[in-house]
Amino acid sequence: MAQASTALSVRSASLRYGTFQALSEISFEASQGQLVTLLGPSGCGKTTLLKAIAGFIPLDGGTVEIKGQDMQDVPPEKRDTAMCFQSYALFPHLTVADNIGFGLRQRRLGAQDIATRVAAVAEQVGLSSQLGKLPGQLSGGQQQRVALARAMAVRPGVMLFDEPLSNLDAKLRDHVRMEIRALQREHGFTAVYVTHDQAEALAMSDLVIVMRAGVIEQMGRPEDIYRFPANRFVADFIGTANIMPLRILDVDRTRGEYKVSSPLGEAVVRSDTPPVSDHIYACWRPEDAQITKPTADAQNRFEVRVTTRTFLGSQCDFSVHPLGDATNRYRIQTHGFAPVSEGETIGVVIAPDAIRFLAEAVR
Amino acid sequence: MKRQRLTPYLLLLPGLFPIVAFMSLVVGMAVSQSIGYFNFAGDDRFSLEFWEGMLSQNQFWRVFWYSARIAILSSLISVMLAYPVALWLRRPFPGSDLISAMIKAPLLVHGLVAAFLFVNFISFQGFLNVALVKLGLIDRPIRMQNDSYAIGVVILQVWKNMPLAFLVITGSVRAIGDDILDAARDLGAGSLARLRRVILPLTLRALQAALILIFIGAAGDWSFQVVAGPTNIQSMAQFMHRVQSDNAAHGWNEAAVVAVMLMALSLFGSLTLAGLMQLIVRRMGR
Amino acid sequence: MTTLSRSTLFWQRQLLILLALAVFFVALVLPFCMAVLWSLVDPSTPWAYPAVLPPVLSLRRWVEIWTTSALPQAMYNSYTLAACVSILTLLLAMPTAYAFGRMEFPGKAVAQMLTLVPLILPGFVSAIFFSALLIELGLYSRFLGILIGHTVGLLPYAIRLLSVSFSMVRQDLIDAARDLGASRMVVFRTAYLPVLKPGLLAALIIVFILSIEEFAISYIVGAPDFTTVPTILYSYLGYNFIRPNAAAVSLILVVPNVLLMLIAERLLKSADPAVMTGKG
Ligand SMILES: Nc1ncnc2c1ncn2[C@@H]1O[C@H](COP(=O)(O)OP(=O)(O)OP(=O)(O)O)[C@@H](O)[C@H]1O
Ligand SMILES: [Mg+2]
Repeated sequence: MAQASTALSVRSASLRYGTFQALSEISFEASQGQLVTLLGPSGCGKTTLLKAIAGFIPLDGGTVEIKGQDMQDVPPEKRDTAMCFQSYALFPHLTVADNIGFGLRQRRLGAQDIATRVAAVAEQVGLSSQLGKLPGQLSGGQQQRVALARAMAVRPGVMLFDEPLSNLDAKLRDHVRMEIRALQREHGFTAVYVTHDQAEALAMSDLVIVMRAGVIEQMGRPEDIYRFPANRFVADFIGTANIMPLRILDVDRTRGEYKVSSPLGEAVVRSDTPPVSDHIYACWRPEDAQITKPTADAQNRFEVRVTTRTFLGSQCDFSVHPLGDATNRYRIQTHGFAPVSEGETIGVVIAPDAIRFLAEAVR
Repeated sequence: MKRQRLTPYLLLLPGLFPIVAFMSLVVGMAVSQSIGYFNFAGDDRFSLEFWEGMLSQNQFWRVFWYSARIAILSSLISVMLAYPVALWLRRPFPGSDLISAMIKAPLLVHGLVAAFLFVNFISFQGFLNVALVKLGLIDRPIRMQNDSYAIGVVILQVWKNMPLAFLVITGSVRAIGDDILDAARDLGAGSLARLRRVILPLTLRALQAALILIFIGAAGDWSFQVVAGPTNIQSMAQFMHRVQSDNAAHGWNEAAVVAVMLMALSLFGSLTLAGLMQLIVRRMGR
Repeated sequence: MTTLSRSTLFWQRQLLILLALAVFFVALVLPFCMAVLWSLVDPSTPWAYPAVLPPVLSLRRWVEIWTTSALPQAMYNSYTLAACVSILTLLLAMPTAYAFGRMEFPGKAVAQMLTLVPLILPGFVSAIFFSALLIELGLYSRFLGILIGHTVGLLPYAIRLLSVSFSMVRQDLIDAARDLGASRMVVFRTAYLPVLKPGLLAALIIVFILSIEEFAISYIVGAPDFTTVPTILYSYLGYNFIRPNAAAVSLILVVPNVLLMLIAERLLKSADPAVMTGKG
C-alpha cells in the first residue's frame, strides 16, 4: 500500500505499560531521506515511540512499516534501524572502538573494513583520540558521541536519534548536527529525531511532530507548525506565543475578515480557515507586533502599557498589558533598539493575518 | 591531626586483629608442623620427611585428585545450572519472587541435615526406591547410598551450592540495563550473540566469584563425603582428619602436609578454574 | 501475531514456573516430609521395606530422644555458646565496621580483603590446626576454645553486615543534629540508632544461627565431651545410623534457624538490599 518512496510509516500505533496508555493512535509517514522531529514535554512518549519503531517494545495496536514491509514479526536485530539511546547504553566492557564497531562485526564485515569505518565515524564526531578508552573513562558528552557514532556506523535505513546532542556544548552541537546532516545527504537514511531544542527542530527537520501524553497534537512542516499552531499547547510549546480568547462579532465572508473583541480591544482578524466556534482562542507571536507613535492611526492599533523591558542586543523584549487591565500580560519583541521606557504607554499594531485562530474553543 | 589519622586503624584493631592473628597462627601451625616443628611427641627439628612420605603415597594422590574432581564438577555444574535461571529471572514477572525464594531455600538448610535428607531419600526404603518399585521400573529396591562414583556427593554439593551461585550471579545479571541489551539487539545481535558478546563478559566477575567460592567449599568438604560419599575413597578433609587421629607418632605432621596441600588445591585450583572461565568467555566474545 | 507471541511467551513461562515448583517439591518439600514422618515412627513397630507409610505414628520417639539422649545438653550448649559468640562478635565487629562504613583511609581495600580470609580457609584445616594451637597454648576449656573459634570465623559476616548499616547513616542528619546543639548521646539516638538497629539485630541473628550451625570447630575441638546440636546429628548419621533420631534432630536444627533467618531477612530488607545468608 505504501508508496515506493515511503521509508517509514507508522499507523495507529498504540502502546500500554500495564494500564498506563503511553502511545495512542500515533500515525505518520516519512519518505526516504527525510528527517522527522518528535517534540514534546518530558514523559510524553517520545522514547517509547522510538523503541516501538526499533522493535524493543511490541505495539498493542497498529503497525510499523519500513520500506513498505510490515515489521510486526521482525525482531529488532533484523530491522534496518539503529538507535542512538538517550541513556547512551554503551557496552561498559568494550573500548570506544569496539563499541562503534559492534554493529559492523555483527554484520560480519572484515576487520580491515571495520577499522576504516570506525576511524571515519570517530573522526566525524571528534573522537579519534579516544578510541582505546573504555566508556567509563569518558566524559558525558564524549559518551554521547560514542552512542551516536555507534548507531551511525552501521548506516541503517532508518536512524532513531533520542536527544543525541543534549549533553554537548553549543559549539560542538552545531558541529555534530552538521555532520549528521552531511551523513544523511551522503547515505540518504531516514531519521526520526527526538529533541528538546525547538530551534534545532525547526532548523533541521522536514516534518515536525508535536506530542503530548502519548497523542500527536500537531504534525507538519516546521514553518507551518510555527505559523499555524493548532492549539494553545502547540502555540505555547513551539516558540513564544501570546494567547488570548476572542469573541467573534461580525464576519465578512468574501474577504475572510472577522471582527472580534479581545482583551486588547476590538480587532480585525484575517483568516483563510473559519474559526471553530464564536468564542475561541487565538495567538500571535511577539515579533508580529509593531510599535507605533501614539498618534498614528491604523487598523488593529492598541494602546498598551510597558511593564518591563529587556534589552538583548540585537532585539528588545517587552512585557505589556492593556490599559486598565494588568491581569493580561503579552510579550512583544522589536528588532534593534526601541526608545521606549518602562511605565510608558505605547501603541502597537498587529497585522490582521498575524492573529491566528486556534482550533480550540473557549469553554 | 596525628591522632585523627590514627583513629581508623585503631578502630580496625578489635575486628581485624583477631582475624589476622587467628589465621596466621592456624596456617603457621599447619605449615610448621608439616616441616617438623611444634611436635607433640618428640623433639622439634626441621625435616622434610613428612612431605616426602606423604607425596610418595599413592593413596594421598588418589585422595587429592578425587577432591579436585569433586570440586571441579560441583562448581561447574552449580554455576551452569544457576546461570540460565538467573538470566530467566533477570526481569521480575508474576511469580518470580516466589521462585527466587524457593531457589535460595537450601541456603538455610544445614549441610548435615541436607546430607541426611538425601540419604534418607535414596536409601533402601527411601522415597525414590519405593517410587521406582511402585512405578514398576525396578523389581526390588536397589542400593544407591554411598555410590562409588560419588554421584551422591556431587548431587549434594550442587543442591547446596547452586543457590549460592544463583545469589552471586543474579546480582550482576540484574545490573545489566535493558537499554544495553536493546542496543545490542538494535545493532543486529541475536540472542546467542547477546549472550556471548554482552551478557557473559559483563557477568564474568560474578561467574568467577561463584566458581571460586564453590570450588573451595567442595574441595574442603567433610560432611557430605562422610555421610553420602563412597566408602572406598576419602576426601582431603576426611583423609587429613583420619591421618591426624590414627597415626600416633607423626599424625599431626602428616595431617599438616595434607592441610597445606588442601590449601594449595583450594587456592590454585579455584584460581585456575576462574582463569579458564575468563579465557573461554574472552574467546566466545570474539 | 503480537498477541499470539505474547501468549506463547506466557505459556512458556507458566510451564517453567510449574517445572520449578516440581523441582522444589522433589528436592526440598518431599525430603522434609519424609524426615517428619521418620521422626514420628513409633519405636514399637519399625517402618520396613514394603510399607509405603509408617504403620504406627506417635510422638514417643521425640519423648525418648528428649529424655534419654544428650540432646537437651547439646541444645543448652549450642544456644549458650551462640549467645556468647554473637554478643562478643558484634562488640568486636562494631568499631571495625564503623571504620569501613564511615571513614576513608589508605589501605582500606586491603583491610577489607583481609577480613574475608576466614571464609576461604577450608573449615577442617582451620578446625584441626586451631585445636593443635589450643593444645600448644595449653588452653583446655572446650567452651572457651569453641567460643574463640566461632567468634573469629564469624567476624567477617558481622563486619560486612554492620559496615553496610554504618554506611547508610546519613551524614546530613548527623550534621543537622550537631548543628542544633545535640549532645553525643542525642546524636547517636537520632542519627545512628534508627538506621543501625535493624542491621545490628540482623547481624546478631545471623551470627547466632551460623554459630549454632558451625560443625567443624565444634566437632574437632569439642568432641567427645562438649556436644552441640550438629555434633549430635552427626553421631546419628555416622557409623550407627539411627534414622528416626537423625530425623528429629534435623528438624530441631533447621526449623528454629529458618524462622530466625526469615526475621533477619525482614530486618535487612527494611534497611539494606544485600541479603547475606548462611553456609552449612
Ligand atoms: N517500562 C515502563 N513501564 C511503565 N511506564 C513507563 C515505562 N517506560 C516509560 N514509561 C512511562 O511512559 C511515559 C513515556 O515515557 P518516555 O520515556 O517515552 O518519555 P519521553 O517522552 O521520552 O520523555 P523524556 O523527554 O523525559 O525522555 C512516561 O510517563 C513514563 O513514565
Ligand atoms: Mg525520552
